[in-house]
Amino acid sequence: MAQTPPPASPAPDGAPQGAPPPAVPFERVLTAAMGQPGSHELDHYLRRGGYVGAHKALTSMTPEEVIKVVTDSKLRGRGGAGFPAGIKWSGTRGNPAPRYLVVNADESEPGTYGNRYAMDTDPHMLLEGMIICSFAVGINLAYIYIRGENLHGYETLELAVRQARERGYLGRGLFGTDFNLEIYVHRGAGAYVCGEETALMESLEGKRAQPRTRPPHPFQVGGGLFGRPTVVNNVETLMCVPHIIVRGAEWFAAIGSPNCPGPKVYCVSGNVNRPGIYEAPMGLLLSELIFGDEYAQGVPGGRAVKAVSPGALASPLISGGELEVKLDVDAVRAPPYRTQLGAGGIIVYDDSVCMVELLLRAEQFFAHESCGKCVPCREGTHWMVDVLRRITAGRGREKDLDLLNNVAGNMSGLPFHQRTLCALADFAAGPMMSAIGKFREDFDYHIREQACPQQRQLAHA
Amino acid sequence: MPLSQAVKDLVVNEYIPRYPTKRAALVMALWAAQNEQGWLSSETFEEIGELLDLDATDVNAVASFYTMFHRRPIGRQLIEVCDNPPCLVNNAHETMQRLCDRLGLESAAGHGGGTTADGEYTVRFAECLAACDMAPAVQVNYRYYGPVRPDDVERFLANMESFSIETPIPPVPGQSGPPAGAAATPAGMVKEG
Repeated sequence: MAQTPPPASPAPDGAPQGAPPPAVPFERVLTAAMGQPGSHELDHYLRRGGYVGAHKALTSMTPEEVIKVVTDSKLRGRGGAGFPAGIKWSGTRGNPAPRYLVVNADESEPGTYGNRYAMDTDPHMLLEGMIICSFAVGINLAYIYIRGENLHGYETLELAVRQARERGYLGRGLFGTDFNLEIYVHRGAGAYVCGEETALMESLEGKRAQPRTRPPHPFQVGGGLFGRPTVVNNVETLMCVPHIIVRGAEWFAAIGSPNCPGPKVYCVSGNVNRPGIYEAPMGLLLSELIFGDEYAQGVPGGRAVKAVSPGALASPLISGGELEVKLDVDAVRAPPYRTQLGAGGIIVYDDSVCMVELLLRAEQFFAHESCGKCVPCREGTHWMVDVLRRITAGRGREKDLDLLNNVAGNMSGLPFHQRTLCALADFAAGPMMSAIGKFREDFDYHIREQACPQQRQLAHA
Repeated sequence: MPLSQAVKDLVVNEYIPRYPTKRAALVMALWAAQNEQGWLSSETFEEIGELLDLDATDVNAVASFYTMFHRRPIGRQLIEVCDNPPCLVNNAHETMQRLCDRLGLESAAGHGGGTTADGEYTVRFAECLAACDMAPAVQVNYRYYGPVRPDDVERFLANMESFSIETPIPPVPGQSGPPAGAAATPAGMVKEG
């Protein structure tokens, strides 16, 4: 994507003592090589300073020092939960070996596609992050779990692993040390729930992808892959790591939101003029991402933004009047938004989209992807589809909205494990309740007029 | 049709050694089998089970959980159109309608899909393919194409490669699958679903 950082404003001569330092221009590091032919090749990566971070970590730092730098950087997981990476690593390191690293490359949330570009463009950056993590945690065997549909990404990673192995960046005695690491790429075969870390590990073990009961947690004995303490990290999280090691924790912590810092790859899709991935400081304003010249450049035809899924399809919707929100993990969680950033997939819907039709298709997705293990999710998603189908078919009843709210309410709102083993039920319920709360006029119109307010059928009846 | 020795060797020599348990090689083994056979038969489950010390029932119970494994023969070219919200609001259904009209298929609603009488194409909807910037996104035999807008359908069927969003990467034995159009499709094509 064409994206240029704003020019640095030169510090004026004779600036008074105590004036704030001039703003450091933001530099893209995660997507810097996008669009460069051959960027996935090892030699291309080496010419750009590749594997310098891994070399530095393995030859001049102790594992504890690496974990401290990552902790000090305040790097938080980019997959959605926002858990501090350094704490996850040190917790796993505290449990007995063998330990494993699993990269969650199952990216399947409607509206997210940043990992696909990242792995196509810079697979070695991911491998380097994995080497540093494995060294820090004391891991000698790591897997990348990539969704089955992304065959091209699988082939790209296989090539990268082969090149790294041939040139000694993987295998035995890395960088002249006694540290050994093997990485295997593992394909999924079509199941959104594999993005949930315990379902992913079940799937990797050759089973149906159904979430596990916790505790034990993945970082504990009995809870991780093959029952061993395991780090599960998102692709983007690990790709931040080489840069943190090379440039330092302070550099990272100074970018964007202080409580959730660093560069973030935002994916924009839906009704925008320039859908694409945009790397920006964590905490970018949603309105700037949608309308900014350097970003998605507004809505086709100059139509109004009706609604946004700020953290891809699973996030509660926000309305077109709520676009002045900072896109970081904590800011979108806070009132009045009460939604989530997810993996940073922003879907924009213009004023031609009927929210009832949209929710029907969304709930069809969650019903199809529910693994069937927990009753509220298995039953609730299908009930919501049935009721929404009735409404869009022109047979809606006044009390159907209470019914939808009731079903969704029974699927969500409690900590994990009090109702369901994973968050898929919450993911289905959040958009439903927010749509009825914020776009009730669409539902009322459907029920009152027995017709769509947009006279346009989006979803299947 | 029995599995070839090449696939069995791949499972035993390549996949099983990657994991602490034999069972963990199951999904990779199923991929290698499907890429050779075009779909997964009960006999294939028996053969895979023998390699991994699993019951065929157990193999089936896992394979049938995942949407990408076919339990029946399908068309030589599997065309999947994403209609999740980012593609939906970019007219994915109109793209699907034009595809079905052009191929003489009545409907491809839901995950069952429709297959042309000559066994060349199976067309169905897909859940999100993680190519939302290329809406409507399409995969053919799990290769990425897009955007394929309704008005592009004629041109897309005539020259799919001009819609490709992939850079050339060497294929991986067992996993990359045969090129589009090369898979053997047994007679007796039935609608999947």
